[in-house]
Amino acid sequence: MKILILSGISFAIIAIGADFSKARAKDFVDLDDLLEMDELFDGDGTEVEEGSAAIADPLKVLNQTIFEFNDAAYKNIFQPFTRQYVRFIPKEGRKGIGNFFNNLEYPARLTGSLLQFRFGRASRETGNFFINTTAGMAGFMNAAQEFEALQPPKEDIGQAFGAWGFKHGFYFVLPFLGPTSLRDFVGRIGGNYVEPISEPSTQVDSSTDRLILTAVETVNDLPDIIDIYNSITRSALDPYTAVRDSYAQLRALQVAE
Amino acid sequence: MNSFSLRSLFAILLLTVALLPNLRSNDLVNTKDALESTLNRLLDILHANHSTAPFSVKKDRIIGILDQQFSFDVIIQRSLGRNWSKLNDSQKNQVYTLITDLILQSYTQELQDGPRPELIFYKPKVITSSKIEIESIVLLAESKINISYRLANIKDRGWQVYDILVEGISMVSNYRKQFDEHFLKKSASDLIDLLKAKLQGA
Repeated sequence: MKILILSGISFAIIAIGADFSKARAKDFVDLDDLLEMDELFDGDGTEVEEGSAAIADPLKVLNQTIFEFNDAAYKNIFQPFTRQYVRFIPKEGRKGIGNFFNNLEYPARLTGSLLQFRFGRASRETGNFFINTTAGMAGFMNAAQEFEALQPPKEDIGQAFGAWGFKHGFYFVLPFLGPTSLRDFVGRIGGNYVEPISEPSTQVDSSTDRLILTAVETVNDLPDIIDIYNSITRSALDPYTAVRDSYAQLRALQVAE
Repeated sequence: MNSFSLRSLFAILLLTVALLPNLRSNDLVNTKDALESTLNRLLDILHANHSTAPFSVKKDRIIGILDQQFSFDVIIQRSLGRNWSKLNDSQKNQVYTLITDLILQSYTQELQDGPRPELIFYKPKVITSSKIEIESIVLLAESKINISYRLANIKDRGWQVYDILVEGISMVSNYRKQFDEHFLKKSASDLIDLLKAKLQGA
Protein backbone atom coordinates (compact mmCIF):
# COMPACT_ATOMS: atom_id res chain seq x y z
CA MET A 1 0.00 0.00 0.00
CA LYS A 2 2.84 2.30 1.04
CA ILE A 3 4.61 1.49 -2.23
CA LEU A 4 1.50 2.25 -4.22
CA ILE A 5 1.06 5.62 -2.53
CA LEU A 6 4.72 6.53 -3.06
CA SER A 7 4.56 5.43 -6.71
CA GLY A 8 1.43 7.50 -7.18
CA ILE A 9 3.09 10.54 -5.67
CA SER A 10 6.19 10.01 -7.87
CA PHE A 11 4.11 9.82 -11.03
CA ALA A 12 2.15 12.86 -9.96
CA ILE A 13 5.41 14.78 -9.48
CA ILE A 14 6.73 13.64 -12.87
CA ALA A 15 3.46 14.72 -14.48
CA ILE A 16 3.44 18.08 -12.68
CA GLY A 17 7.14 18.53 -13.45
CA ALA A 18 6.59 17.84 -17.14
CA ASP A 19 3.68 20.21 -17.17
CA PHE A 20 5.75 22.79 -15.31
CA SER A 21 8.57 22.47 -17.84
CA LYS A 22 6.09 22.75 -20.69
CA ALA A 23 4.47 25.80 -19.14
CA ARG A 24 7.80 27.48 -18.71
CA ALA A 25 9.33 26.31 -21.96
CA LYS A 26 8.74 29.66 -23.62
CA ASP A 27 10.78 31.31 -20.87
CA PHE A 28 13.86 29.30 -21.72
CA VAL A 29 16.06 28.84 -24.71
CA ASP A 30 16.39 25.42 -26.26
CA LEU A 31 20.10 24.65 -26.20
CA ASP A 32 19.62 22.07 -28.92
CA ASP A 33 18.02 24.63 -31.23
CA LEU A 34 21.20 25.77 -32.94
CA LEU A 35 20.83 28.24 -35.79
CA GLU A 36 22.45 27.51 -39.11
CA MET A 37 24.23 30.57 -40.50
CA ASP A 38 21.68 30.77 -43.31
CA GLU A 39 18.87 31.15 -40.80
CA LEU A 40 20.31 34.50 -39.75
CA PHE A 41 19.76 35.80 -43.26
CA ASP A 42 16.16 34.97 -44.06
CA GLY A 43 15.26 34.80 -47.72
CA ASP A 44 16.68 37.56 -49.84
CA GLY A 45 17.54 39.83 -46.93
CA THR A 46 14.37 41.88 -47.23
CA GLU A 47 13.01 40.67 -43.90
CA VAL A 48 12.09 43.36 -41.41
CA GLU A 49 14.98 43.69 -39.01
CA GLU A 50 14.14 43.37 -35.31
CA GLY A 51 13.75 46.88 -33.94
CA SER A 52 12.98 48.32 -37.36
CA ALA A 53 10.61 51.29 -37.36
CA ALA A 54 9.10 53.07 -40.32
CA ILE A 55 8.51 56.79 -40.75
CA ALA A 56 7.37 58.53 -43.95
CA ASP A 57 9.59 61.32 -45.21
CA PRO A 58 7.81 63.22 -48.01
CA LEU A 59 9.63 66.48 -47.11
CA LYS A 60 13.04 64.86 -47.43
CA VAL A 61 14.67 67.57 -49.54
CA LEU A 62 13.58 70.34 -47.17
CA ASN A 63 14.40 68.21 -44.14
CA GLN A 64 17.90 67.50 -45.42
CA THR A 65 18.52 71.23 -45.89
CA ILE A 66 17.41 71.99 -42.33
CA PHE A 67 19.42 68.99 -41.08
CA GLU A 68 22.58 70.36 -42.72
CA PHE A 69 21.86 73.80 -41.25
CA ASN A 70 21.43 72.25 -37.79
CA ASP A 71 24.57 70.15 -38.25
CA ALA A 72 26.60 73.28 -39.02
CA ALA A 73 25.03 75.11 -36.08
CA TYR A 74 25.75 72.19 -33.68
CA LYS A 75 29.37 71.85 -34.81
CA ASN A 76 30.30 75.52 -35.18
CA ILE A 77 28.24 77.25 -32.51
CA PHE A 78 26.65 74.91 -29.97
CA GLN A 79 29.50 72.45 -29.52
CA PRO A 80 32.18 75.08 -28.77
CA PHE A 81 29.70 76.88 -26.52
CA THR A 82 28.81 73.64 -24.74
CA ARG A 83 32.49 72.90 -24.06
CA GLN A 84 32.81 76.22 -22.24
CA TYR A 85 29.51 75.70 -20.40
CA VAL A 86 30.64 72.29 -19.14
CA ARG A 87 33.98 73.78 -18.14
CA PHE A 88 32.49 76.56 -16.03
CA ILE A 89 29.34 74.98 -14.61
CA PRO A 90 30.21 71.97 -12.43
CA LYS A 91 28.55 68.63 -13.05
CA GLU A 92 26.44 68.85 -9.88
CA GLY A 93 25.20 72.31 -10.86
CA ARG A 94 24.16 71.11 -14.33
CA LYS A 95 22.50 68.09 -12.80
CA GLY A 96 20.54 70.28 -10.35
CA ILE A 97 19.34 72.59 -13.13
CA GLY A 98 18.36 69.57 -15.23
CA ASN A 99 16.45 68.08 -12.27
CA PHE A 100 14.59 71.37 -11.71
CA PHE A 101 13.33 71.60 -15.30
CA ASN A 102 12.62 67.87 -15.46
CA ASN A 103 10.42 68.25 -12.38
CA LEU A 104 8.52 71.11 -14.06
CA GLU A 105 7.70 68.78 -16.96
CA TYR A 106 5.63 66.63 -14.61
CA PRO A 107 2.26 67.89 -15.96
CA ALA A 108 3.11 66.73 -19.51
CA ARG A 109 4.28 63.31 -18.27
CA LEU A 110 1.18 63.00 -16.08
CA THR A 111 -1.07 63.92 -19.02
CA GLY A 112 0.74 61.39 -21.23
CA SER A 113 0.12 58.65 -18.63
CA LEU A 114 -3.52 59.62 -18.03
CA LEU A 115 -4.30 59.76 -21.76
CA GLN A 116 -3.11 56.13 -21.95
CA PHE A 117 -5.18 55.22 -18.86
CA ARG A 118 -1.97 54.26 -17.12
CA PHE A 119 -3.11 55.31 -13.69
CA GLY A 120 -0.37 53.39 -11.90
CA ARG A 121 2.30 55.33 -13.82
CA ALA A 122 0.39 58.58 -13.21
CA SER A 123 0.41 57.98 -9.46
CA ARG A 124 4.12 57.06 -9.53
CA GLU A 125 4.83 60.29 -11.45
CA THR A 126 2.82 62.23 -8.87
CA GLY A 127 4.75 60.62 -6.01
CA ASN A 128 8.01 61.43 -7.78
CA PHE A 129 6.93 65.06 -8.28
CA PHE A 130 5.74 65.42 -4.67
CA ILE A 131 9.00 64.10 -3.18
CA ASN A 132 11.26 66.07 -5.54
CA THR A 133 9.32 69.30 -5.01
CA THR A 134 9.41 69.00 -1.20
CA ALA A 135 12.41 66.93 -0.04
CA GLY A 136 14.23 67.71 -3.29
CA MET A 137 14.05 71.48 -2.72
CA ALA A 138 11.80 72.58 -5.59
CA GLY A 139 13.14 69.77 -7.75
CA PHE A 140 16.82 70.74 -7.77
CA MET A 141 17.63 67.45 -6.03
CA ASN A 142 16.32 64.16 -7.34
CA ALA A 143 15.26 62.93 -3.90
CA ALA A 144 12.80 60.44 -5.44
CA GLN A 145 15.61 58.49 -7.10
CA GLU A 146 16.01 56.57 -3.83
CA PHE A 147 12.61 54.97 -4.46
CA GLU A 148 12.58 52.53 -7.35
CA ALA A 149 8.78 52.42 -7.33
CA LEU A 150 8.70 56.14 -8.14
CA GLN A 151 10.64 55.83 -11.41
CA PRO A 152 8.02 55.20 -14.11
CA PRO A 153 9.01 55.27 -17.79
CA LYS A 154 8.70 58.83 -19.11
CA GLU A 155 5.47 59.45 -20.98
CA ASP A 156 4.47 62.36 -23.18
CA ILE A 157 1.43 63.30 -25.19
CA GLY A 158 2.93 62.21 -28.53
CA GLN A 159 3.52 58.76 -27.00
CA ALA A 160 -0.12 58.68 -25.87
CA PHE A 161 -1.21 59.40 -29.47
CA GLY A 162 1.07 56.56 -30.58
CA ALA A 163 -0.46 54.23 -27.99
CA TRP A 164 -3.91 55.16 -29.35
CA GLY A 165 -2.76 53.86 -32.73
CA PHE A 166 -1.85 57.10 -34.50
CA LYS A 167 1.16 56.74 -36.81
CA HIS A 168 3.77 59.45 -37.19
CA GLY A 169 2.09 61.08 -40.17
CA PHE A 170 5.37 62.30 -41.59
CA TYR A 171 8.85 63.13 -40.42
CA PHE A 172 10.19 66.65 -40.29
CA VAL A 173 13.24 68.45 -38.95
CA LEU A 174 12.86 71.64 -36.94
CA PRO A 175 15.54 74.33 -37.14
CA PHE A 176 17.80 74.01 -34.06
CA LEU A 177 15.41 71.59 -32.30
CA GLY A 178 15.98 68.62 -34.62
CA PRO A 179 13.79 65.66 -35.53
CA THR A 180 10.08 65.28 -34.88
CA SER A 181 6.95 64.05 -36.65
CA LEU A 182 3.49 65.46 -37.21
CA ARG A 183 2.09 63.30 -34.41
CA ASP A 184 4.86 64.17 -31.96
CA PHE A 185 4.81 67.86 -32.87
CA VAL A 186 1.09 68.04 -32.08
CA GLY A 187 1.89 66.24 -28.82
CA ARG A 188 4.58 68.80 -28.10
CA ILE A 189 2.10 71.65 -28.58
CA GLY A 190 -0.28 69.80 -26.24
CA GLY A 191 2.53 69.60 -23.71
CA ASN A 192 2.96 73.37 -23.89
CA TYR A 193 -0.65 73.74 -22.76
CA VAL A 194 -0.02 71.91 -19.50
CA GLU A 195 3.53 72.94 -18.66
CA PRO A 196 4.08 75.91 -16.33
CA ILE A 197 6.70 77.90 -18.29
CA SER A 198 5.57 77.71 -21.90
CA GLU A 199 2.66 79.62 -23.41
CA PRO A 200 -0.34 79.56 -23.32
CA SER A 201 -0.73 78.19 -19.76
CA THR A 202 2.36 79.86 -18.38
CA GLN A 203 2.66 80.60 -14.68
CA VAL A 204 5.51 83.05 -15.34
CA ASP A 205 4.10 86.52 -15.97
CA SER A 206 7.12 88.26 -17.45
CA SER A 207 7.99 87.31 -21.03
CA THR A 208 11.64 88.16 -20.29
CA ASP A 209 11.67 85.71 -17.37
CA ARG A 210 10.08 83.06 -19.58
CA LEU A 211 12.74 83.62 -22.22
CA ILE A 212 15.54 83.38 -19.67
CA LEU A 213 14.12 80.18 -18.17
CA THR A 214 13.71 78.59 -21.60
CA ALA A 215 17.25 79.62 -22.57
CA VAL A 216 18.73 78.20 -19.35
CA GLU A 217 16.88 74.92 -19.86
CA THR A 218 18.01 74.66 -23.50
CA VAL A 219 21.63 75.50 -22.74
CA ASN A 220 21.71 73.02 -19.86
CA ASP A 221 20.31 70.26 -22.09
CA LEU A 222 22.77 70.97 -24.90
CA PRO A 223 25.74 68.88 -23.69
CA ASP A 224 23.59 65.72 -23.61
CA ILE A 225 21.95 66.53 -26.96
CA ILE A 226 25.34 67.11 -28.59
CA ASP A 227 26.70 63.88 -27.09
CA ILE A 228 23.76 61.86 -28.46
CA TYR A 229 24.00 63.58 -31.83
CA ASN A 230 27.74 62.90 -32.08
CA SER A 231 27.28 59.34 -30.96
CA ILE A 232 24.73 58.65 -33.71
CA THR A 233 26.51 60.50 -36.50
CA ARG A 234 30.11 59.49 -35.68
CA SER A 235 29.81 56.02 -37.19
CA ALA A 236 27.09 56.91 -39.71
CA LEU A 237 27.59 56.68 -43.45
CA ASP A 238 24.51 58.80 -44.00
CA PRO A 239 24.00 60.95 -40.88
CA TYR A 240 20.57 62.24 -42.02
CA THR A 241 19.16 58.71 -42.42
CA ALA A 242 20.89 57.52 -39.24
CA VAL A 243 19.26 60.29 -37.16
CA ARG A 244 15.84 59.79 -38.80
CA ASP A 245 15.91 56.04 -38.16
CA SER A 246 17.19 56.52 -34.60
CA TYR A 247 14.29 58.88 -33.94
CA ALA A 248 11.76 56.41 -35.40
CA GLN A 249 13.21 53.47 -33.43
CA LEU A 250 13.36 55.41 -30.18
CA ARG A 251 9.78 56.67 -30.43
CA ALA A 252 8.52 53.20 -31.38
CA LEU A 253 10.23 51.82 -28.29
CA GLN A 254 8.79 54.55 -26.05
CA VAL A 255 5.28 53.97 -27.39
CA ALA A 256 5.61 50.20 -26.89
CA GLU A 257 6.92 50.53 -23.32
CA MET B 1 11.68 -2.35 -3.98
CA ASN B 2 11.81 -1.05 -0.42
CA SER B 3 10.69 2.36 0.73
CA PHE B 4 14.31 3.63 0.91
CA SER B 5 15.00 3.08 -2.79
CA LEU B 6 11.62 4.53 -3.65
CA ARG B 7 12.49 7.64 -1.68
CA SER B 8 15.79 7.83 -3.57
CA LEU B 9 13.99 7.49 -6.87
CA PHE B 10 11.52 10.11 -5.72
CA ALA B 11 14.39 12.48 -4.79
CA ILE B 12 16.21 11.91 -8.09
CA LEU B 13 13.07 12.58 -10.10
CA LEU B 14 12.35 15.71 -8.12
CA LEU B 15 15.92 16.97 -8.57
CA THR B 16 15.84 16.24 -12.29
CA VAL B 17 12.62 18.18 -12.76
CA ALA B 18 13.86 21.05 -10.62
CA LEU B 19 17.30 21.28 -12.20
CA LEU B 20 16.37 21.09 -15.87
CA PRO B 21 15.38 24.75 -16.19
CA ASN B 22 18.34 25.76 -14.00
CA LEU B 23 20.83 23.99 -16.26
CA ARG B 24 19.49 26.01 -19.16
CA SER B 25 19.47 29.12 -17.03
CA ASN B 26 23.10 28.49 -15.96
CA ASP B 27 24.17 28.27 -19.60
CA LEU B 28 22.70 31.72 -20.18
CA VAL B 29 24.35 33.10 -17.05
CA ASN B 30 27.68 31.70 -18.31
CA THR B 31 27.08 33.42 -21.66
CA LYS B 32 26.38 36.70 -19.86
CA ASP B 33 29.50 36.28 -17.69
CA ALA B 34 31.60 35.54 -20.78
CA LEU B 35 30.31 38.66 -22.53
CA GLU B 36 30.97 40.76 -19.44
CA SER B 37 34.50 39.35 -19.22
CA THR B 38 35.11 40.03 -22.94
CA LEU B 39 34.03 43.66 -22.62
CA ASN B 40 36.06 44.17 -19.45
CA ARG B 41 39.12 42.85 -21.29
CA LEU B 42 38.34 45.35 -24.05
CA LEU B 43 38.28 48.13 -21.45
CA ASP B 44 41.61 46.86 -20.09
CA ILE B 45 43.15 47.46 -23.51
CA LEU B 46 41.48 50.82 -24.03
CA HIS B 47 42.47 52.12 -20.61
CA ALA B 48 45.93 50.61 -20.34
CA ASN B 49 48.96 52.90 -20.09
CA HIS B 50 49.37 52.91 -23.83
CA SER B 51 45.71 53.96 -24.32
CA THR B 52 46.81 57.02 -26.27
CA ALA B 53 48.07 54.73 -29.02
CA PRO B 54 46.11 55.11 -32.25
CA PHE B 55 43.29 52.70 -33.08
CA SER B 56 45.35 50.97 -35.78
CA VAL B 57 47.88 49.84 -33.14
CA LYS B 58 45.23 48.34 -30.86
CA LYS B 59 42.93 47.07 -33.59
CA ASP B 60 44.26 43.51 -33.86
CA ARG B 61 44.12 42.97 -30.10
CA ILE B 62 40.58 44.39 -29.94
CA ILE B 63 39.38 42.19 -32.78
CA GLY B 64 41.13 39.20 -31.18
CA ILE B 65 39.10 39.70 -28.00
CA LEU B 66 35.74 40.57 -29.55
CA ASP B 67 35.90 37.89 -32.26
CA GLN B 68 35.19 35.21 -29.66
CA GLN B 69 31.67 36.50 -29.02
CA PHE B 70 30.90 39.02 -31.76
CA SER B 71 30.09 37.65 -35.23
CA PHE B 72 31.00 40.72 -37.27
CA ASP B 73 30.31 38.85 -40.51
CA VAL B 74 26.72 38.25 -39.36
CA ILE B 75 26.33 41.84 -38.11
CA ILE B 76 27.60 43.29 -41.41
CA GLN B 77 25.72 40.93 -43.70
CA ARG B 78 22.47 41.55 -41.80
CA SER B 79 23.15 45.30 -41.96
CA LEU B 80 23.52 45.18 -45.71
CA GLY B 81 20.51 42.88 -46.12
CA ARG B 82 19.53 42.49 -49.77
CA ASN B 83 22.32 44.90 -50.78
CA TRP B 84 24.92 42.26 -49.86
CA SER B 85 24.21 40.47 -53.14
CA LYS B 86 25.07 43.66 -55.07
CA LEU B 87 28.72 43.33 -54.00
CA ASN B 88 31.25 41.08 -55.74
CA ASP B 89 33.57 38.90 -53.62
CA SER B 90 36.37 41.45 -53.55
CA GLN B 91 33.96 44.23 -52.57
CA LYS B 92 32.45 42.01 -49.87
CA ASN B 93 35.90 41.54 -48.32
CA GLN B 94 36.68 45.25 -48.49
CA VAL B 95 33.29 46.28 -47.09
CA TYR B 96 33.60 43.72 -44.29
CA THR B 97 37.00 45.09 -43.21
CA LEU B 98 36.04 48.75 -43.56
CA ILE B 99 32.72 48.50 -41.69
CA THR B 100 34.29 46.41 -38.93
CA ASP B 101 36.93 49.13 -38.51
CA LEU B 102 34.30 51.87 -38.52
CA ILE B 103 32.10 50.15 -35.94
CA LEU B 104 35.04 49.31 -33.68
CA GLN B 105 36.57 52.76 -33.99
CA SER B 106 33.31 54.50 -33.06
CA TYR B 107 32.36 52.01 -30.36
CA THR B 108 35.76 52.03 -28.68
CA GLN B 109 36.01 55.82 -28.83
CA GLU B 110 32.87 56.08 -26.69
CA LEU B 111 34.37 53.71 -24.13
CA GLN B 112 37.85 55.19 -24.25
CA ASP B 113 37.05 58.85 -23.57
CA GLY B 114 37.43 59.85 -19.91
CA PRO B 115 38.04 57.53 -16.97
CA ARG B 116 37.41 53.80 -17.30
CA PRO B 117 33.64 53.24 -17.29
CA GLU B 118 31.91 50.72 -15.08
CA LEU B 119 29.87 47.97 -16.72
CA ILE B 120 26.71 46.54 -15.19
CA PHE B 121 25.12 43.49 -16.83
CA TYR B 122 21.62 42.15 -16.27
CA LYS B 123 20.11 38.68 -16.52
CA PRO B 124 19.63 37.56 -20.15
CA LYS B 125 16.15 37.79 -21.63
CA VAL B 126 14.91 35.13 -24.02
CA ILE B 127 13.82 36.40 -27.45
CA THR B 128 13.25 33.00 -29.10
CA SER B 129 14.44 29.48 -28.32
CA SER B 130 17.79 30.33 -29.95
CA LYS B 131 18.12 34.07 -29.40
CA ILE B 132 18.65 36.07 -26.23
CA GLU B 133 19.20 39.72 -25.27
CA ILE B 134 21.61 40.84 -22.56
CA GLU B 135 21.06 44.36 -21.23
CA SER B 136 23.87 46.38 -19.75
CA ILE B 137 24.59 49.86 -18.47
CA VAL B 138 27.84 51.69 -19.14
CA LEU B 139 28.48 54.16 -16.34
CA LEU B 140 30.60 56.97 -17.76
CA ALA B 141 31.94 59.92 -15.78
CA GLU B 142 29.03 62.19 -16.62
CA SER B 143 26.34 59.93 -17.98
CA LYS B 144 25.17 56.39 -18.43
CA ILE B 145 24.39 54.52 -21.66
CA ASN B 146 22.06 51.55 -21.97
CA ILE B 147 23.60 48.99 -24.31
CA SER B 148 21.91 45.68 -25.11
CA TYR B 149 23.50 42.78 -26.95
CA ARG B 150 21.43 40.35 -29.00
CA LEU B 151 22.96 36.91 -29.24
CA ALA B 152 22.07 33.88 -31.34
CA ASN B 153 23.04 30.29 -30.62
CA ILE B 154 24.82 29.56 -33.91
CA LYS B 155 25.91 26.08 -34.96
CA ASP B 156 29.69 25.58 -34.52
CA ARG B 157 30.03 29.05 -32.97
CA GLY B 158 27.88 29.03 -29.82
CA TRP B 159 26.32 32.21 -28.47
CA GLN B 160 27.34 35.10 -30.73
CA VAL B 161 26.40 38.78 -30.74
CA TYR B 162 24.49 39.58 -33.94
CA ASP B 163 23.17 43.05 -33.04
CA ILE B 164 23.94 45.84 -30.57
CA LEU B 165 21.27 48.22 -29.30
CA VAL B 166 22.37 51.59 -27.94
CA GLU B 167 19.57 53.23 -25.93
CA GLY B 168 17.20 50.80 -27.63
CA ILE B 169 18.36 51.70 -31.15
CA SER B 170 19.38 48.65 -33.17
CA MET B 171 22.71 49.18 -34.90
CA VAL B 172 21.93 46.59 -37.58
CA SER B 173 18.54 48.13 -38.34
CA ASN B 174 20.02 51.64 -38.39
CA TYR B 175 22.79 50.64 -40.81
CA ARG B 176 20.26 48.73 -42.93
CA LYS B 177 18.31 51.96 -43.49
CA GLN B 178 21.49 53.80 -44.43
CA PHE B 179 22.61 51.11 -46.89
CA ASP B 180 19.14 50.96 -48.44
CA GLU B 181 19.30 54.74 -49.00
CA HIS B 182 22.81 54.48 -50.40
CA PHE B 183 22.00 51.78 -52.94
CA LEU B 184 18.96 53.68 -54.22
CA LYS B 185 21.27 56.04 -56.09
CA LYS B 186 24.85 54.87 -55.62
CA SER B 187 26.99 51.81 -56.29
CA ALA B 188 29.10 49.38 -54.27
CA SER B 189 32.33 51.14 -55.28
CA ASP B 190 30.84 54.45 -54.07
CA LEU B 191 30.17 52.74 -50.76
CA ILE B 192 33.80 51.63 -50.47
CA ASP B 193 35.01 55.18 -51.22
CA LEU B 194 32.57 56.57 -48.65
CA LEU B 195 33.73 54.10 -45.99
CA LYS B 196 37.39 54.92 -46.65
CA ALA B 197 36.69 58.66 -46.42
CA LYS B 198 34.69 58.18 -43.22
CA LEU B 199 37.48 56.16 -41.61
CA GLN B 200 40.10 58.74 -42.54
CA GLY B 201 37.98 61.53 -41.09
CA ALA B 202 37.04 59.63 -37.92
